[in-house]
Amino acid sequence: METFVEEDQVRRLDYRAKVTGRASYLADMTIPGMCVGKILRSPVPHAWIRRIDVSKALKVPGVVGVLTGDDIVKEEGIDPYFGPVFKDQTLVAVDKVRHVGDPVAAVAAEEPQAAEEALSRIDVEYEEVPAVMDVRESMRKEAPLIHESVRIPEHGYADLAELRPVEGTNVCTHFKLRRGDVEKAFSECDYIFEDTFVLPTTQHVALEPHGCIASVEPDGRIIVWSTTQNPFVVRTQLSNIFKVSVSKVRVVVPYLGGGYGSKVYPKVEPLTVALAKKVGRTVRIMLSREEVFYTVTKHAAVIRMKTGVKKDGTLHAREGEVLLDTGAFAEIGPRVAKKSGYTATGPYKIPHVKIDSMCVYTNKPPAGAFRGFGVSQSAWACESQMDIIAHALKMDPLEIRLKNIYDEGDEFVTGEKLTNIGLKACVEKVAAEIGWGKEQTRRPEGAIVRGKGIACLIKATITPSISSGVVKLNEDGSVTIFTGTVEMGQGSETTMAQIVAKELGIPLEKTQVLGVDTDVVPYDLTTSSSRSTFHMGKALQLAAQDLCHQLRELVVQEYGVPIEQVKASEGKVFFGEMAMEYREVLFKHFGMQGGTLVGRGEVRTRTVDEKGEKVTSAFWFLGAGAADVEVDRETGKIKILKYVSSVDVGKAINPLGCKQQIAGAAITGLGQALFEEMVFDNGQLVNPNLVDYIIPALGDMPDVIESISVEVPHKDGPFGAKGIGETSLIPVAPAIANAVFDAAGVRIKDLPITSEKIFLALEKGSREKS
Amino acid sequence: MRGFEYLEPTTLSEACGLLKRYAGDAKVFAGGSAFTILMKQGLLQPKALVNIKKIEGLRGIRYDPVEGLIIGALVTHHEIETSELLKEKLPILCELEHDVANIRVRNMATVGGNLASGEPLTDLPCVFISLDSKVKISSSSGDRTLPLEKLFVDYYETALASDEILTQVMLPPLEPLTGVEYLRFSSSSVVDKPCVGVSTRITLDAKSQALRTVRIGLGCVAPTPIRARRAEKILEGKPLDPQRLAEAAASASEECSPLSDLRGSEHYKREMVRVLVRRAVPKACKRAQGS
Amino acid sequence: MKKRVNIFVNGVERILEVEPWVTLLEAVRGLGLTGAKLGCDIQVCGTCTLLLDGRPVSACSVLAVDADGRQVLTIEGLGDKNRLHPLQEAFMDCGALQCGYCTSGFILTAKAMLEESPRPTEEQIRSYMGGNFCRCGCYPEILEAIRKVAGL
Repeated sequence: METFVEEDQVRRLDYRAKVTGRASYLADMTIPGMCVGKILRSPVPHAWIRRIDVSKALKVPGVVGVLTGDDIVKEEGIDPYFGPVFKDQTLVAVDKVRHVGDPVAAVAAEEPQAAEEALSRIDVEYEEVPAVMDVRESMRKEAPLIHESVRIPEHGYADLAELRPVEGTNVCTHFKLRRGDVEKAFSECDYIFEDTFVLPTTQHVALEPHGCIASVEPDGRIIVWSTTQNPFVVRTQLSNIFKVSVSKVRVVVPYLGGGYGSKVYPKVEPLTVALAKKVGRTVRIMLSREEVFYTVTKHAAVIRMKTGVKKDGTLHAREGEVLLDTGAFAEIGPRVAKKSGYTATGPYKIPHVKIDSMCVYTNKPPAGAFRGFGVSQSAWACESQMDIIAHALKMDPLEIRLKNIYDEGDEFVTGEKLTNIGLKACVEKVAAEIGWGKEQTRRPEGAIVRGKGIACLIKATITPSISSGVVKLNEDGSVTIFTGTVEMGQGSETTMAQIVAKELGIPLEKTQVLGVDTDVVPYDLTTSSSRSTFHMGKALQLAAQDLCHQLRELVVQEYGVPIEQVKASEGKVFFGEMAMEYREVLFKHFGMQGGTLVGRGEVRTRTVDEKGEKVTSAFWFLGAGAADVEVDRETGKIKILKYVSSVDVGKAINPLGCKQQIAGAAITGLGQALFEEMVFDNGQLVNPNLVDYIIPALGDMPDVIESISVEVPHKDGPFGAKGIGETSLIPVAPAIANAVFDAAGVRIKDLPITSEKIFLALEKGSREKS
Repeated sequence: MRGFEYLEPTTLSEACGLLKRYAGDAKVFAGGSAFTILMKQGLLQPKALVNIKKIEGLRGIRYDPVEGLIIGALVTHHEIETSELLKEKLPILCELEHDVANIRVRNMATVGGNLASGEPLTDLPCVFISLDSKVKISSSSGDRTLPLEKLFVDYYETALASDEILTQVMLPPLEPLTGVEYLRFSSSSVVDKPCVGVSTRITLDAKSQALRTVRIGLGCVAPTPIRARRAEKILEGKPLDPQRLAEAAASASEECSPLSDLRGSEHYKREMVRVLVRRAVPKACKRAQGS
Repeated sequence: MKKRVNIFVNGVERILEVEPWVTLLEAVRGLGLTGAKLGCDIQVCGTCTLLLDGRPVSACSVLAVDADGRQVLTIEGLGDKNRLHPLQEAFMDCGALQCGYCTSGFILTAKAMLEESPRPTEEQIRSYMGGNFCRCGCYPEILEAIRKVAGL
């Protein structure tokens, strides 16, 4: 079988449209008759809604209609409750508001100004109750209860089946991981380390805000154009909420202006559909930048990690408590808690483990999927503590990692065997590239000190999952590709086309990838979890192989040749002395220039393999990062001289694409490490804008940033490829914290690593010395 | 942002007349960089905006041997950044403008708007104060000149009456052997608003190398940009030495009144004032020697 | 009260009747030129960048009435279907975009920068381009593309 080589590097298919301004995003679309929707949001973090009066709003000229909680509760055709795991969200608040920004009502109007005017005329009476904004506070017995009860859906996700809310508390999931006997194991250790690490709430800040256009047709059919990463999940949820069959719901997705996890699972869609249904018009809602902060965030966390080691640096026992702040709604928090729990042991072999990972409600905006999905939280703790341990044992941080790290064939903490693991290679490569252990050629002067730090990780992909792909062979030998993978910048459109073209042996110009439309493309679970190349790419490869098989069958039928003697590749079917182009085979079969062959492929991963062994992940993400930094001891400011990422990509189908993903994710990781924090004060979000919520600018980049792809092919991935979108984000924060410790001798345990924190730690240190 | 009239006078007196007529319900509008934010947030809901961009005589940078540099109120940050005249006469202004906001804001936002907004987290006012700048203000009752220090009253509040327009900034000529340094400190991203700004102007005595004149301007660490007068006095009249410098820096850190906010705690900002003063003064002296 | 403005968009005179509070971004997008985007509405992100008389501005915060009689260049006005601008080609070749939302802003800003300073220093590039954000993290590739076109 052919594989990808350097010469296969292509220019991406979506590029021309994007550099000319012709690419259409949700905000650029106009549907005839569309009116504008705007949302009224709670100004308080926790309150009962006693009264809503929309009568004055309805009188504003240009207003088409208003939606409140009453409408969705009274309407027979609506199930007000939804959510990816638990049904704890409502389209608009029905009894209570649970965070600042919680949608309370929605207005549809002809013009944005009329909608805004109407919002200002809606009277809401709130009866405030105490709010809880900290995850530790929320777990106390006296904490106010945020959800009086939590509805469990009938058919949930298989991998989350055992996760249930803890009655009468704000804990909506308690995931437990147990292995061996930690208490006994601690007594066998030479040293025990216990540290608590903290991460704040942060936000994805996709430059394109969320949006949705919804239309409910007279026959009840729902059509939604949305900035969603998983249209099929949205379709299912809308079908459940609005009590119509799935065939009556259509979700269309244009290009997304970034997702990073912020656009998975229903966000604005249910509300927009309800509003469209109420007013009998097509409605578009585009969120403002501020509203995006109220819609989805990344889980804040408090992680207590107790690790026992032998004096030679072998990790022997780990007890961990992970508290994830899921905000007002569970969203996909339970799965984040599970993922965070599994990876609390890091990429290391630890025989005795006791992890409790909890997903806890607070009165913050809901936290959901974020690039890294719980692993940036656990890695912040684990990789920081590894260096604390190394320092105490006077061991090299690289050495202690290599001593304990997972290698090919090792058992994961869940007991399953790890295969296709390029982890060691990643660690060794970043260490080499950053000049680990080498003498500094340039000694910094004055107040500047310099140091290096390293971090590594293992992460799983969502398992089980489903991807189906269809490839249609047209009469001229060109193909049309049907895929539900959403192009959000990762280059999936091009990668899918490349895989099909390579498999069929036809030029890329003869392929066309269709837009995502759930009426047309077959089911795909989601574009997230770095899963699309591996799952959808494979499904499409299988679909292309199915086409090849069908073409061979046609030749068998036509020429009576045994099938083993017929080969299809390079755009032709070969048998005996003959070589027929695909279109010739079709012409021969159909008797005219017409007809279609349809190839199908499906990838279904399971939690148990053929041998009955447990499967936590269809493939593993392995990666490492290393930082070389300078710290100005007088100001605490960090300058990153060099940052190196390495990721096991399996097979680089698109080397430039790999480099973009690896460097790109690392740059977001930089923001999470140094700048980003959603700051709350008395329940209010202080910085819901880009002046005060700081994301990395061009000038913040390290002087040098390197991306290294390691290739340890996966037998089940298309051409050996795995997923890579999230990996390099995860080690950035701990690598920098470790480098800061190496440089300045201070250990920062709560993110972000600000210059003030470093300054204060240095100040404290010198006070203690004198 | 809506519900206002847009008035476009072509002369200064017409503009002043309009402001007077609207008696506080109309605002002077130039680049609009600050105003559009306030209007979008609903913090400002004027009945009218008086666009002054069509008025002659508010643009341009010129040099007068007596008055010094005269910068028109409508001069944009980018015009300062790229001014050949300023590169020659006061290069520190061109240099600092590289880091102000972003190129788009620098193309629209004006010096006049920057000063008139009373924005605390900004660079130019601090530097201008260390240069003993003055501003010219016009109204229907006539013109007046004000030392820049007196323009600033409180956070986002200036001494401009609702019917007054700031028309130019004047920076007196620099004496020989004068160096000006500005250090801007961001506690996070390079493009974040400044956390602390320190500007120093030093004039050296030709014979003794003593610091004949010392000005230390502090920005972002008080309700208005201020001079650290006690710190100045510690240094003035004597040659530079590390002990006195440390004393002056410590004094400056106590003369300001920073607020704890997203960009730093009060304590941290005071410490950064101390560090920046300690770093800026020798740099200004070096520039003075080179001048 | 609406005002009548004549704005030269991509060299073509467009006559619009707008309220004073309509932004240049709204006016231009209203003409179907949707390459410039709304990202933050507060002059930070750069996705709304347009060139006003050749200078990059945050169109989300410029009043359309202030563009009366002036030249506005949008991404759609760059190059034509036969030949793209060298920056457009370089961005594609170097992989200087992923989701593409920031791309129009970056390309227009780079064009303006190279017209002002044909051979910019690294410091000039950082100072001029540093206010356009890319959350996908394409900064390395974007710099590469700009340097390529500038011949650096």
